[in-house]
Amino acid sequence: MAGVAVVGSGLAGFTAYQTLRRGLEPGEIVVFGPDADPAAAWRVRAAAIRQRAMRSESDGHCRASTFPGLAFQGVLRRRSLRPLIETVSDRYHPTVEEFLDHVERTRERSGWNESLVSRRIERVQAVDGGFELDGERFDHVLLAPGHPALNVPDKLRDDPRTVHSYEPHEYASTVTVVGAGLAAATEWLNALEAGAEVVSVRRHEPARRPLNVPREYFSRRGLAAFHRLPARERIERLRVLTAPSYPSGEEWDGPLERASRAGRFRVESSLNGSVQVICATGFVRGWRHDHLLARLVADHDLATEGDWIVVDPDSTVPGLSDGTRTLALAGAPGQWAFPAADTLAGARYAGHCFLKRIKACRTR
Amino acid sequence: MSYTLRGRIESRLAALLPVLLGCCVLAAALRHWWPVELCVLMAAVGVVLDVQVWHRIFPYQAAWAILPLGLVELGLVLAIVYGAGLHAPLGPALFLFGVGWLVSFLLGQAGYPLLRLSYAEDGGELGRAGAVAAAGVLLVLIGSAATWYVRRPPVVYLAAGVHQGPIVIRRREVLQGSPGAVVKGGIVVAHDDVHIRDVTVLGGRNGIDVENVRGTVLDGVTVQGAKLDGIHVRSAGIVIRNCTIDMLGNKIGQGIDISFNMDMGMSMVEGCTIVGGMQGITTHSSMTDIIGNRVSRTTGQAISVAEMSMGMAMDNEVRDALGVGLNCDDQSMCMFEHNTVIGTRPDTASGDPSRRGVAVLASFYSEASLWQNRLVANPVAASAITSSMFRWSKDTGW
Repeated sequence: MAGVAVVGSGLAGFTAYQTLRRGLEPGEIVVFGPDADPAAAWRVRAAAIRQRAMRSESDGHCRASTFPGLAFQGVLRRRSLRPLIETVSDRYHPTVEEFLDHVERTRERSGWNESLVSRRIERVQAVDGGFELDGERFDHVLLAPGHPALNVPDKLRDDPRTVHSYEPHEYASTVTVVGAGLAAATEWLNALEAGAEVVSVRRHEPARRPLNVPREYFSRRGLAAFHRLPARERIERLRVLTAPSYPSGEEWDGPLERASRAGRFRVESSLNGSVQVICATGFVRGWRHDHLLARLVADHDLATEGDWIVVDPDSTVPGLSDGTRTLALAGAPGQWAFPAADTLAGARYAGHCFLKRIKACRTR
Repeated sequence: MSYTLRGRIESRLAALLPVLLGCCVLAAALRHWWPVELCVLMAAVGVVLDVQVWHRIFPYQAAWAILPLGLVELGLVLAIVYGAGLHAPLGPALFLFGVGWLVSFLLGQAGYPLLRLSYAEDGGELGRAGAVAAAGVLLVLIGSAATWYVRRPPVVYLAAGVHQGPIVIRRREVLQGSPGAVVKGGIVVAHDDVHIRDVTVLGGRNGIDVENVRGTVLDGVTVQGAKLDGIHVRSAGIVIRNCTIDMLGNKIGQGIDISFNMDMGMSMVEGCTIVGGMQGITTHSSMTDIIGNRVSRTTGQAISVAEMSMGMAMDNEVRDALGVGLNCDDQSMCMFEHNTVIGTRPDTASGDPSRRGVAVLASFYSEASLWQNRLVANPVAASAITSSMFRWSKDTGW
């Protein structure tokens, strides 16, 4: 019987699974989730916002180690050394097509299908020396439930003009885009390219940075100080770090400046009379919105701070992880340990820590 | 990559370990210490910069940054190498540094992430492997230091008083003269890596004879009354410092004659005082730097770079030479910089027009570069004859 389970078959679970495969055979891991394709949900969203390139760089992939990155794959695919040269200066961004191709090939090679059980887990219950997932027992469990739902502001929920950016849509002649992150910026350009007049509605000016969070927070250099923060400051820091942002560069600013001069793009603080309202407002946040996590917290009286379940720096849940069993969080729910937990690098981080715990487990 | 300080140092030391081992092997093969010294210097410069500079100014370091950072480190290493006189040859030193740089780059980008899955997240820290690597580097350094210590040549002290020569040195040793130690009849160096310090030599066919050996160092020796040359070097690599040679009355001998050692790398004559003799310092088919010497009252040429030699004469002071002061002869390539030549006298007795009191002479297909030499009270300042040429500096003076 397999002793290790991954709950969630999306990209976070898939990336963690690739790390687990460095120490375990497919038969020793069970993955619970609705989709055999780990990119199924992400693919729909990327297509909805017409995303062409990844925000992540060469190491934004699902494999266990950062090397070889997708730039190497790009060299073969494009028959050019340009990806390697670009990656040296952090300017290489794989195309969505390249990324999806990577996911597919990794899936085929890794034994993912062998480990996958097409079932949603409704409840995680700690038992002596392990956990029961809807009655099935495992020693070590990694929860990667993904985002609970798309976030649509309350006052727009019943507005017939409204569509979420991650839902398939076309563009009307006048479009208001609510939000200020990467999806919003992508939608500004999409709508302008489609000939629309665009209004950006946002509460704050977006931060401009290449990745979701500053780069030092992807390594122990920034994480060590983050982990030392008291709870209240940590919550504030997380709110700052996860605030909307998108990369700087001419490819973003140029079209917007030209459209502004032509009177086709402007920023406003509230909705106007646009024909279409696109909510580029991401996902609802917090464990309360996730049925599985909410039940887990309630059943085991887990410590929480704001929207986050308190986890140790290695993404494991304190009190439910010890020398014989491990419960870890990957993806957005793991931000208490890793602010960029909802990225591929974040899923890899959780996977690495999880595998270390399993290897150190005295019952194995 | 966002390195922690520990990660930076561990990554650097682990990458240095194979290079350091290579340096040790190279040092053993070449029988020179400079490869190890260079590696130690690379490690020291790198770690100091990591701690004091790089870690502070780079919260994140893109892969391309290794190039400018590497150039800065290379510049510092070379400045220290040449400032401290480590005598590491430039080409091999650059090659070693380049190998170290490449190993570091490849390990940082590919090797470490493959060996340690969480390398990037750990900020370059290598866990136990990092500690082992650091210990490995330390062990190699301690081993090298211990090897250097036990392989130091034995020191033979020459007591004050007159010792009958010739003394023939047939093993690797340091011959250290006590004040007043005199060898009568000359010294013959017949083994590699012999150092002679603070010894006075009287008489002998040649005062000190060095032939077919490597690594000889003569420091603070005094030679008087040699029948032929004061210091006679053939096919041998040598460094001569702070010597005093009295050749007055010797019409055919040279103060220092270094010949036919082109294949031994650079030799050096520095800080010597030579009086009399036909030539004060002469080289033939040799690459020798002649720096900061005082040569006077010679009867042929004071300093001569001859017979396809390549060398630099710099900061020397030549006085009262008969015929020629500085000489570049017989298809040689010479650089004469910052020398002072005063009062060269015409050799009228020879009837040779090229010896009419020439401060700097280039002859027979030779090429001499002149830069800021002081030529004072010489009948002829500079003369190039028999298809030879001078290259002049743009600055004032010779």
